[in-house]
Amino acid sequence: MTTLWIYLAGAAILLAPEMLRGVLELALMKPGIRLPAMIVIALAVCSVLVEAQRGGRGAPQAPPSPRAAAPFDLTGQWVSLITEDWRHRQFIAPKGDYASLPLSLAGRKNADSWDPARDEAAGEQCKAYGAAGLLRLPTRMRIAWQDDVTLRLDTDAGTQTRIFYFGSPQGNGGDWQGLSSASWDSPRAAFAGRGGGPPSGGSLKVVTTKMKPGYLLKNGAPYGANTILTEYFDRFDVPDGDSLIVITSEVVDPENLATPYWTSQQFKRENDTSRWSPTPCAAR
Amino acid sequence: MKKPHLLVCAALVALSATAIGQVPQIPPASAQAPAVDLGGYWTPALHEDLMERGAGSEIADFGGFPLNEAGRLWALSYDPSRVTLRHHQCEAYLAPYQMRALGNFRIWEEREEHTQRLLAIHVWAQTTEGHRVIWMDGRPHPPTWAPHTFRGFSTGQFVGNSLVVSTTHMKSGALRRGNGVPQSDQATLTEFFVRHGDHLTNVTVVTDPVFLSEPMVRSNDFYRQPVDPGAWLYACDDGEQILDRPEDEVPHYLFGKQPYAREFSTRYKLPLAASLLGDATMYPGLNARLRTVNESEANGLLAPARGRASETSRATDKDSRDGNVHIWPVRDNVYMVVGDGGNIVVQTGDQGAFVVDTGEGKLSDKVLAAIRSLSANPIQFIANTSFRQEHTGGNAALGSAGQDPSLPGSFFLLQAPRGVTGFFENPLAHATMMAHANVQIRMQAAGAPAGAVPADTYLEDRRRKFHNGDAIELFYQPAAVTDGDSLVYFRRADVIVAGDVFSTTQYPVIDVKSGGSVQGEINALNAILNRTVYRHQGEGGTYVVPGHGYLSDEHEVLEYRDMVVIVRDRVKAMVDAGATLPQVKAARLTADYDTQYGANAGAWTTEMFVEAVYSSLKAQPSGC
Repeated sequence: MTTLWIYLAGAAILLAPEMLRGVLELALMKPGIRLPAMIVIALAVCSVLVEAQRGGRGAPQAPPSPRAAAPFDLTGQWVSLITEDWRHRQFIAPKGDYASLPLSLAGRKNADSWDPARDEAAGEQCKAYGAAGLLRLPTRMRIAWQDDVTLRLDTDAGTQTRIFYFGSPQGNGGDWQGLSSASWDSPRAAFAGRGGGPPSGGSLKVVTTKMKPGYLLKNGAPYGANTILTEYFDRFDVPDGDSLIVITSEVVDPENLATPYWTSQQFKRENDTSRWSPTPCAAR
Repeated sequence: MKKPHLLVCAALVALSATAIGQVPQIPPASAQAPAVDLGGYWTPALHEDLMERGAGSEIADFGGFPLNEAGRLWALSYDPSRVTLRHHQCEAYLAPYQMRALGNFRIWEEREEHTQRLLAIHVWAQTTEGHRVIWMDGRPHPPTWAPHTFRGFSTGQFVGNSLVVSTTHMKSGALRRGNGVPQSDQATLTEFFVRHGDHLTNVTVVTDPVFLSEPMVRSNDFYRQPVDPGAWLYACDDGEQILDRPEDEVPHYLFGKQPYAREFSTRYKLPLAASLLGDATMYPGLNARLRTVNESEANGLLAPARGRASETSRATDKDSRDGNVHIWPVRDNVYMVVGDGGNIVVQTGDQGAFVVDTGEGKLSDKVLAAIRSLSANPIQFIANTSFRQEHTGGNAALGSAGQDPSLPGSFFLLQAPRGVTGFFENPLAHATMMAHANVQIRMQAAGAPAGAVPADTYLEDRRRKFHNGDAIELFYQPAAVTDGDSLVYFRRADVIVAGDVFSTTQYPVIDVKSGGSVQGEINALNAILNRTVYRHQGEGGTYVVPGHGYLSDEHEVLEYRDMVVIVRDRVKAMVDAGATLPQVKAARLTADYDTQYGANAGAWTTEMFVEAVYSSLKAQPSGC
């Protein structure tokens, strides 16, 4: 409502001289023209009043911060539910066993060269803990707002941290977690104003790039430096049941994957945070 | 600018038009306003669990499923060859697995023509021609006695940017494809559909008190197809796959005898317990948990835990006991009346009502009122499926409220045994009651009042009657739950009334002292299956009214038959090995079915069932 009054006041200041002149000219108009003109003016005044009563949207205002605009609460501790690709995620599958992954020929060749001892020797035990593979591991995650425009996600598996920036990511990337740009995403009309109300609900969309090459599976199924990871975080509250976060992810890696790799990972909210158990990365 | 003031006026006019054009909006009901458009053609991404969704799951790979003991044992007992049985061949997928299946999907809205109100969202899955209807019009879910289907009954509402769907009334079947991980008919499903551009995510949350220790959550990814991918059909007809197989043979493995139970763990160099630990397999820390499981404990997971009390049924509201009588239309002019003990069936028409069984007799006034609401004519015939009190308790009350206008002046009336049964004396004041002769004998022996005892009896395999435009047949089932059981078959309506031969709520009440036997029970269930015809993909078609529980079709009878055969085989294996009754009871041979049918108290307990199986097998000549 305050915004509306500011808008009205501003409009009045800007338009007052011309409106005054308009009214004076109106008074001097011929009677045949004056009546329709007065009706138009009356309609205009009515419209302003109607708009005022309806609490119109008013002048542009500073958008709420991403934190304030969050359509749901992601924060808290969440535990992964490893109910799909179970054997490949709970254990390290044998070399060559890449489950449902759409590896390209080059990707398969890279995967077949997997050598965990070599990774350990190179200090790269965290290759399976990079952003594109991290949240498919058995892990707990804690999500919190670092500030009004930054979400922080920590995992106890591999003690990794991902930072989601609303706006331009900060840093150069090149590490396991890369650079993540976040936004709230919801269904929108192709042309604004063509039907439908404002979008209801929404998802957290996170696009991650500039990751250090890593593994999608612990047995060496690879992703490369040019990988683009797009994730949608959705919260679902089961009636009389658990709160879930489901992360729908798309991994695009022209080098190692023949097609985009689509999966979705389930996490369940944990009110008891005592099971948080940080463990270092392990290559095997 | 010569006339800026006119521009101002024009702007005001435009503003005015905008304001007036925007009539105050009535917030749409959330159940009617799609927050997301799901319509179109969708194809699953199949980037998870490809083996399960393709070739099929490996035996004993139960990892990631929160199976309780009953669920684990059910799956270990399962032999994939069971699908060679005729009635299993065309079974559709249950709703949760349907969303995970191969093949294309099509989703469309159904709207009321004149108001464009959203009535339903339809989902068609190519595989098994799975048609799901998600009702969006706020209708309630049906009562517990309503039929179950593979896809269940679904209602939905939009919450935020997702569609939330609640599904009940699913049949039993596979939660995981191919290796026996079960889902019971008591399971419920909550789903979330959310769309991200041309990517659709469907999250399924299965809650199953019978086989799961906690909800099972999975998610399915689809991508949108811009054109109709075609190929929407999935024709299936069952056939003879193994000739000369006895009707009472069901492929399964005895507890602890699944020969391939270790194959999975051996192949992938995993501990045996890795895939058998139920809910622990879903969470971080599985490897640490496995380090605490020794070999003995792991081996113990392949059979029922010893020394544990039997589990009891987790089914909710198995029999309606709310003090009221409820009518459920079965088909055509046939209705099921529930609430007074055993289920009652009423057939109506231009003749008097034909009633099968009369309930326990505690709510006969309400039963009569229900029948009168269905039939303008009084009850003319009553058929009893057995002598058991839960099915004949209302005979006297319902019989005396009826009349049989076909009898006055007839030859048969002159032959009536006056002073013995009495009810032929004045047929205009009593319905004619029919049953197998052994029902009459046992009721008379028990001192039942004359007006409660069927007088119109038959001795051999079949009694028939054409009434209210339908051919009605009574088929005798010797030595099933008693020695006087009949199946009542309405041929045109295609409805079989099974009496206590079949139940969805409890183990069969095999009354050995009254002539029942486990083999006769199996034969009776097969007699039902020999007359049923499913409508589509293993469901629908012939309806079967159980003695207790919900209206069924051949699928429920089939699962029940399989259960009785499997329990019989387990008991027989121990009997053949010389086991005593206490040893048989201690082996918990029904452990995978107890959470569905079991009871440790009441008129019919799990122990009584096992004892009935044991004693009827002991009474058989060896080799049977």
